[in-house]
Amino acid sequence: MIRSLLGSSGGTGFSLTLAALAVTAALLVATLAGVGPSGFLVNIIGQLAAFALLALALDLIWGYLGILSLGHGLFFAIGGYVMAMHLLMHSFETTGTVPDFMQFMGWKEFPAYWAGLGVFPYALAVALVLAGVVALVTGWVSFRSRVGGVYFAIITQALVYAAMLLMFRNDTGFGGNNGMTGFSVIFGLRMGTETASAVLALASVVVLALGLVATRALVSGRLGRLMLATRDDEVRLRSLGYDTIVLKTGVWVVSALLAAIAGMLYVPQVGIVNPRILSPELSLEIAVWVAIGGRGHLVGAVIGAVLVNALKFWLSFAAPDVWPFILSALIVLVVLVFPNGLLDLSRGFGALKARMRREGVASLDPRRAGP
Amino acid sequence: MSALLIDDISVEFGRFRAIDRLSLAIDYGEIRGVIGPNGAGKTTVLDVVSGITRPKAGRVVLDGGLEITRASETLIARSGVRRKFQKPSVFDALTAAENVAVGVEGRLRRTAPAAEVRRRALDLLDAVGLADEADRQAGEFSHGQKQWLEIAMVLGGDPKVLLLDEPVAGLSDEETEKTAALVRSLKRPDRAIVVVEHDMGFVETIADRVTVLHEGRTLFEGSMAGARADARVIEVYLGR
Amino acid sequence: MLRIAAVLIGLIFATAAGAAPLERDPTLRGLCGNAAASGEAADRLLSATPTLSPDDLAFADAAIGGLLSKKLVCPAAPTDPVALKADTGAVDLATGAPLAALPKGKAPVVSLKNRAKFERLAAALALLAAPNAAARAAALEVLAKSAADVPADLFAAAAGREPDPALAARISSVADLASLYGTDIDKRVAAVARLAEGENRRVLTEIEALRADPAYASEPAFAAAVDAAAAKVSGAIAIGNAAATLYNGLSFASILFMASIGLAIIFGLMGVINLAQGEFIMIGAYVTYVVQEGLRALLPGLLDWYLVIAIPFAFLVTALIGIALEASLIRHLYRRPLMSLLATWAVSLFLINLVRVGFGTQNLQMETPFYITGGIAIVGDFIMTWNRLFAIGFAALTLAGTWFLIRRSGIGLDIRAVTQNRDMAGCIGIPTRRVDMLAFGFGSGLAGLAGLALSPIYNVNPQMGTNFIIDSFMVVVLGGVGSIAGTVIAALGIGQINVLIEPIWGAVAAKVIVLALIIAFLQWRPEGFFTVAGRRK
Ligand SMILES: Nc1ncnc2c1ncn2[C@@H]1O[C@H](COP(=O)(O)OP(=O)(O)OP(=O)(O)O)[C@@H](O)[C@H]1O
Ligand SMILES: [Mg+2]
Repeated sequence: MIRSLLGSSGGTGFSLTLAALAVTAALLVATLAGVGPSGFLVNIIGQLAAFALLALALDLIWGYLGILSLGHGLFFAIGGYVMAMHLLMHSFETTGTVPDFMQFMGWKEFPAYWAGLGVFPYALAVALVLAGVVALVTGWVSFRSRVGGVYFAIITQALVYAAMLLMFRNDTGFGGNNGMTGFSVIFGLRMGTETASAVLALASVVVLALGLVATRALVSGRLGRLMLATRDDEVRLRSLGYDTIVLKTGVWVVSALLAAIAGMLYVPQVGIVNPRILSPELSLEIAVWVAIGGRGHLVGAVIGAVLVNALKFWLSFAAPDVWPFILSALIVLVVLVFPNGLLDLSRGFGALKARMRREGVASLDPRRAGP
Repeated sequence: MSALLIDDISVEFGRFRAIDRLSLAIDYGEIRGVIGPNGAGKTTVLDVVSGITRPKAGRVVLDGGLEITRASETLIARSGVRRKFQKPSVFDALTAAENVAVGVEGRLRRTAPAAEVRRRALDLLDAVGLADEADRQAGEFSHGQKQWLEIAMVLGGDPKVLLLDEPVAGLSDEETEKTAALVRSLKRPDRAIVVVEHDMGFVETIADRVTVLHEGRTLFEGSMAGARADARVIEVYLGR
Repeated sequence: MLRIAAVLIGLIFATAAGAAPLERDPTLRGLCGNAAASGEAADRLLSATPTLSPDDLAFADAAIGGLLSKKLVCPAAPTDPVALKADTGAVDLATGAPLAALPKGKAPVVSLKNRAKFERLAAALALLAAPNAAARAAALEVLAKSAADVPADLFAAAAGREPDPALAARISSVADLASLYGTDIDKRVAAVARLAEGENRRVLTEIEALRADPAYASEPAFAAAVDAAAAKVSGAIAIGNAAATLYNGLSFASILFMASIGLAIIFGLMGVINLAQGEFIMIGAYVTYVVQEGLRALLPGLLDWYLVIAIPFAFLVTALIGIALEASLIRHLYRRPLMSLLATWAVSLFLINLVRVGFGTQNLQMETPFYITGGIAIVGDFIMTWNRLFAIGFAALTLAGTWFLIRRSGIGLDIRAVTQNRDMAGCIGIPTRRVDMLAFGFGSGLAGLAGLALSPIYNVNPQMGTNFIIDSFMVVVLGGVGSIAGTVIAALGIGQINVLIEPIWGAVAAKVIVLALIIAFLQWRPEGFFTVAGRRK
């Protein structure tokens, strides 16, 4: 089952995943009609879809370019914060009630740079441009100076950490420690109603499906091959005349945009954004989802994100204290025993033994190998 | 005019001087053999020419135009320099045909229709004797196959200056002969070829002239026969 | 301490013995007189206080105390003695002899104007003779309020016999203030100069306030003295501030160094960034805590020395955990550095939560032993605190030990060989696996020592390690992989930059700027300061 989901050609796994997403979408439509799953479950589904999109974004660069970012929470947060600003503004404009946030900030009216954020297309554009520019600058500067591997991973982590410290300050102007909350209206719908939850979840699932189709189109084409070539041997590719810096920066920006969109979907569903979205732990966890699902075939990232987060949701009700232990055990298991995540699991123990014999060789299948 | 002019370059790694005021000129239509003991600096010279290592002093001029010491690897490659690395470097995740296609295209932007690129790639694979393996993944190839695949890949760019670092290392005698024939067939009036190799027989059969490096300097330059007779070359490299 | 006090008291007797004894009866009669007479008696008594014998001091104290508490009885008949009501009966104040009966009379009325004088007098007496330091200090504060009305030699005498050095210093500074605001210009000039000897911000404020004094405009000598004093003090303060910044930077750098050196060795050797390095620091601190508690329970006499006694424990426990980690996990990840990031993060998550379950999340109570309490004032406002000096010294010792191990010992040679060329080292028979394991253990142990050095200065809790990993990695990047000298210089650099930026733009900006600087630096030298460029295949 899992094996076919992840099937090496990607074909079956990909179609099955799309089918699953279609079924989920249908269920959500049913909720809209008043017969589907409850509001709580719908909300969980929506959050999982947002996380899956985030994982997809990371897999694009980690799985296909071999670049691990431990700071993708930065782009997720850019989307999230801009969305929160949009919702506050939009709620204010439609209901006229001054949000708590403004009282907390001691504002009489929104500062000038908030102007227009109440209009969704503009907010979307702002989030994408912002995430794109940040990605362009960080990517270009790092890749140009050949910063890669562990260095890049830690520098991105430092970036997200610095951003978190910055946002924790009250005078940065984004709510500081408390962040932004108290969104009451989205697209004219009252937040918190079953309809709003279902619409949001549906949007997340649809965007995830679109994201999956788009990234698959990207990686299975010519650029996808060049991405794999970059991952395998960048110096080789460069001395064939390719500008790998442009390639890497481009894909990095695309990945950042996906993460920002995920953030825009996520924040309305949890109803709050605060600096903890920038915590290094969240960014590390994204990598864990991808690793557990298996790097370098998109579907794996989606499945990994959904499974790990579903488990986390469940455990944080059932036994909150054991979650960190389970998570660390999962990571060690994946790293030591199943370097290709669920794919290895599906391949069974025969292949496992073969890998043990070839200790040091990272993986079974060169298409999925990588640092 | 020389295809490649290496003018008084020095390379240092920390306090260690790997190349010491080396000069070298290679002409179009020429196959130059570069030999020398381990650590003589042969690979380092190729690193400088392909832009991977920056010399501390001196310059390298391509075709009387491009100043290589200031150009990026990408620009150097686009100006017609191709290099096969000492350790075979192919893209394990791609098939042989895809590998060569990457070599043929040489740009992020698509420059030719996919079908045409593939046809050219298959031609090149044919030339290096890998036509039957076109759709196998390069990661599964043997050492020798990787060597040839990499040669096909660099030939895809139709290089003006071709640098081959130990193309027959680890190959059987028969494979070596095949490779020698291949390299000879690559000789063209508008192309300069530099072959770094330890295998004397191989160098003798292909090279027009040889340069013997030792401790980062030129020890000898001339015919292979001349090198064999040179007392200092015998002393440091060939052995008595 | 007691002995010193005894000697001091002896000295006081010796000096007092030379002075003329107080004429007690006239003094008492004066006090009993009308407002003018009693005020005059108070003035005379005040100017005499500095030279009074202990006996007379006790007498004066009793008299003034009695006066203020209305226990003094001025007799109606001038022949009767002035008496003091006691708990039972009364005493003749002048002689101290008990009286059979309380003489007829009444307590004198103290006018408002005189009350201030008596209170000042009482304070002067207390300053000179009160047995406990708190009372003397309180008395000094009363006198300080009207320092100009107190004879200068009172302060001199009080400072001379004061056993508590801090209080003595405070007395002198009050005295200076008194003459500073007096009328005698020469004295004022001298006082300005003396004031300028205390080189700190408070003194500078006082000196600068003098520029508003009328004398500053009218007396050139005074103006010159004030200007010179201000220049001297602000110079010293500037030096002091610079020194304090350097010192703080140095102590921060020491901590950075100790946190990063293990990381640098491990990264250089195996290309593995150990994200659990911060948790080794945390464990080092917890081991130190356990040692402290163990001592408290078993050998309370040695409690103060827990920081020293814990050294081997902190090192060995973390080193063993490190070795176990290497053997079970890290060794499978040498060729997969990115995966090793995730794996070591998992370890860090595990350790944090384990400690959280075992010890709780609250900050641990660490003792502050006497040898790291307080500090020594050096120049200006700069105080060299012992706890920071402890961290600096500890880092220096760690550095020396590490240097010795890496540069001079057999295992160090092996570590360097494997760092430079693993395959080659393996070929010539160096047991690379064992070297890895030992080096990992050593690097972890160093982190444990860092935790020990931090424990008396930082909050010790399960989360404490997470703050270090990013800073430490920056040090490693900047210093160049696996270079001791590079690590030292990078730690010093980052430490100083942080401390320089923090007061101007805040801690967050400091972090962001350091990060930006490091990225800029990587543009220029991707390999760090000290490493030679790695070689491609
Ligand atoms: N990046 C580097 N850092 C440090 N030393 C280097 C580096 N690259 C090369 N060297 C040293 O420079 C010298 C020349 O190396 P080079 O690889 O050019 O020799 P070579 O002639 O190609 O040897 P071989 O025949 O073994 O391939 C060697 O001593 C090598 O160790
Ligand atoms: Mg070589």
